[in-house]
Amino acid sequence: MNNRWVWSLILLIQMVAIPVAVATDVQVSHVLNSHWAVGIEERGTQLLDVSWQPELKWRFEGGGRLTGITQLRIQSEQGLQPSDMQRDSYDSVSRPVLVGDKAELEIRELYTEHSLGDWYFTLGKQQIVWGKADGLKVLDVVNPQSFREFIVDEFEQSRIPLWSVNAERSFADWTLQLLWLPDQTYHALPNRDATYAFTSPRLVPKAPAGVETRLLDPKRPNRIVADSDIGLRLTSFLGGWDLSLNYLYQYYNQPALHQQIITGPSPIVEITPRYHRTHLLGGTFSRALGNWVIRGEVGYFTDRYFITTASTDADGVGESPELSFVLGVDWTGLRETFISAQLFQSWLPDHDQGLMRRELDTSMTFLAKREFMNKILSAEVLWIANSRDGDGLVRPKVNYELEDNLTVWAGLDIFYGDKKGLFGQFDRNDRLSLGLELGF
Amino acid sequence: MKCYIQALLIITLYTPGFLTAAGLPSGDEIARNINARNEGVAVARNLSMSMTDRRGKMRNRETRAFRKYYGEEKRTVIFYLEPNNVKGTAFLTWDYPDVNRDDDQWLYLPAMRKVRRISASDRGDAFLGTDLTYEDIKLETRVSMQDYSRKTIGEDEVDGHHCYLVKATPINADISKALGYGKVELCVDSKIWFVRRAKFWDTGGNMLKTSHFRDIRQVQGIWTQHLIEVENHKSGHRTKFLFSDVTYLESMGDDLFSKNALRRGL
Repeated sequence: MNNRWVWSLILLIQMVAIPVAVATDVQVSHVLNSHWAVGIEERGTQLLDVSWQPELKWRFEGGGRLTGITQLRIQSEQGLQPSDMQRDSYDSVSRPVLVGDKAELEIRELYTEHSLGDWYFTLGKQQIVWGKADGLKVLDVVNPQSFREFIVDEFEQSRIPLWSVNAERSFADWTLQLLWLPDQTYHALPNRDATYAFTSPRLVPKAPAGVETRLLDPKRPNRIVADSDIGLRLTSFLGGWDLSLNYLYQYYNQPALHQQIITGPSPIVEITPRYHRTHLLGGTFSRALGNWVIRGEVGYFTDRYFITTASTDADGVGESPELSFVLGVDWTGLRETFISAQLFQSWLPDHDQGLMRRELDTSMTFLAKREFMNKILSAEVLWIANSRDGDGLVRPKVNYELEDNLTVWAGLDIFYGDKKGLFGQFDRNDRLSLGLELGF
Repeated sequence: MKCYIQALLIITLYTPGFLTAAGLPSGDEIARNINARNEGVAVARNLSMSMTDRRGKMRNRETRAFRKYYGEEKRTVIFYLEPNNVKGTAFLTWDYPDVNRDDDQWLYLPAMRKVRRISASDRGDAFLGTDLTYEDIKLETRVSMQDYSRKTIGEDEVDGHHCYLVKATPINADISKALGYGKVELCVDSKIWFVRRAKFWDTGGNMLKTSHFRDIRQVQGIWTQHLIEVENHKSGHRTKFLFSDVTYLESMGDDLFSKNALRRGL
C-alpha cells in the first residue's frame, strides 16, 4: 500500500468513523441514466450506456452529514468504450475502476459537511464550481473535466470530483472560501483512436509527413503537499450585485505536449505530456435589471502553454499568460421563456508568430429555452460558435417528464466548421441522442 | 312617472354594486387589514405540492420552506426534497418594502451546481410547474397594495364563512401584463381578514384560475392556511398545496436565507 492510499484511508476514516457513531437519519436514493447516441454522418451507435448512481446521505446529531455517490457505468459492445480514455491523468485514489472491459465503477463523491465554530467544512471527494458562465469555462477549472464526449456531456457528469478540503466562513457581508486540493487528477483525455480524440492542430502537434510520433507517459506531479492546489474565493452581495474574487494556484488541468525529435535512420517525435503550475486570478459578477440578468467572469492565468511551430521553442511548446472573460445576458421578457447570450474572449498577451492558438480567440453562445405544460415539457436550442475559426456546435433538445421520477429526452449535437477548429474537428460526429433518467 | 322612479330606485338599491357602497369596508381598508394580520416573525413548514393535468396525470413535490421578516423586508427560501429529478433545487427571495426596488431572487439547480441569479420581473411565470406564479408565492397570504386598485363589490360566503368580495384591478397595462392578470376577485373572511377564495382573469378578460384557501386555523395563535387548491380553467391543470409541521419562531438563523444555504441544501 503506497503513501497515497494510506493518506486516503486516514481521510476516509476521519470522515466516516467519527460521525457514524451519532448518525440519526440515513437516506438512500438511486438515479438510473441511459443514453443512446446514433451517428448521423458516421452511421451506427456512437454511444450506448447505462449508469446507476446510488446516493447515500447520512445526517448526524449537531447538523453534520455524510454524502456518498457512487457510479457504475456499463457500456455496450458498440460505441464509446472505457478503454477510449487515457487513465493516467487520474490520481490513483480517484481513478475509476474497470469492471471487465465494458464497465467502470467509481466513487463520484464522498464528503462530510459540518460546522466548527464559524467555519463550515466540506471534506472529501467533491465538486467545487466557480464562475457564472454556461457551457463555457473560465473559472470553473477547480475540478478537471472528462472529455469523453468533448463538451457535449453534462458538466455535472463530465466534471471530475477531487479529494479536497473546502472551508467557508462568513464575515459580515463577505464569505471566504479556502480550498486545499491534494488530489492530482487532471483532465481525462480521449485516446488517439477514440471517437472524440482531439485532432485540431491547436491541441495536438503534427509531425512532419513520414515521421512517426510516440506519446510517452505524462510527467505527473506526485508530491501530496508540495504539488497540491490551493484556492481562495471571496463572495459578497453588495448594492444588488453578486460579486466574487477568485484565486487558484494549480497545476493547469491540460498538459503541455512537449516534443523531442529522436534522430536516426527512422526519426521519431516523442511527445511528453507535462503539467505546469499557474496562478489564476479572477472575479465574477451578476445582477438582475428588470427582465435582464447581466453576468460575467474574468480570469487571468499567469502561465499557459500552447503548441507552437516557432523554431525558438525547440520542444514545440510556447508560453504566454492568458486573459479570458465571459460576458452574458439572460432575458425573461416572454412568459416561460429563457433567452441567453454570451460572449467569450481569450487573449494571449505574449503571443508569438508560431503559436497554433490565435492571439485573440472569440466565441459566442446563444440559448433559447421554453417550457410548456407546467414545465412537463421543455424545448431548447444551444448554439456555440467560434467566430475566429468559423466553427461551432448546435444542440437542440427536448425534455419530457413522463412521470414524477422519469424524464425522457431527445437531442441533436451538430458540429460544423473547419477540422482545424475546436468544434470543427468533430464535424463527422454529429449525432441524434435519446435518453432517460429514472430516480427511485 | 312616480312609479317608474320608485321602480328604478328599488332595482338600483338591490343591485350588488350599490349595496357595496352602503356600509361595507372599502377595498383598501380590507387590504390593509389583510396585510396587518400577524404572520409571525419567522415560520418553518413542510409544503407538499400535488399537480394534476387535465388528463388526471399527477406529479408531486415535497419541499421544506422558511420565511422570515426583517422589519418590512421578507426573505423566503424553499428547498425541494422529492422527487429525485428536482431534489436539491432551492429558491431564495429577498422581498423589499421599497416599491421601486426589484426583489432579489436566486435559484439553485443541482444539475448546474450553481446558484443562479434570476430576474424578479418574471413574477407572472408559473412557479416551478405549479398553478401559482412567483408573485403569488411571494405574497403568501398578503396582497399587493401597489400593483392593484381595489373596490369592494359585495359579500359572499366561502366554506361557511362570511366574506367581503373585493375586485382588484392592476393599476396599468404594464403591471397587468407582468402579473398575467387582468382582474382579480378576492373573497376575504370578514372576521379574520384571510383570503378564502381568489378568482383570476387573464389580460384578455377570460376566466383564468380559482384559488381556494382552506383548513385555516390558528397555530401558536396565528391564523394559518394549511391547504391551497388552485384550478387553472384554461389548461385544466390543478395544484394542491398542503402545509404541515408549521412552526412559528421568534428567531431563525440568517444563514438559512443565503446563497450558501441554497447550495448546501437541507
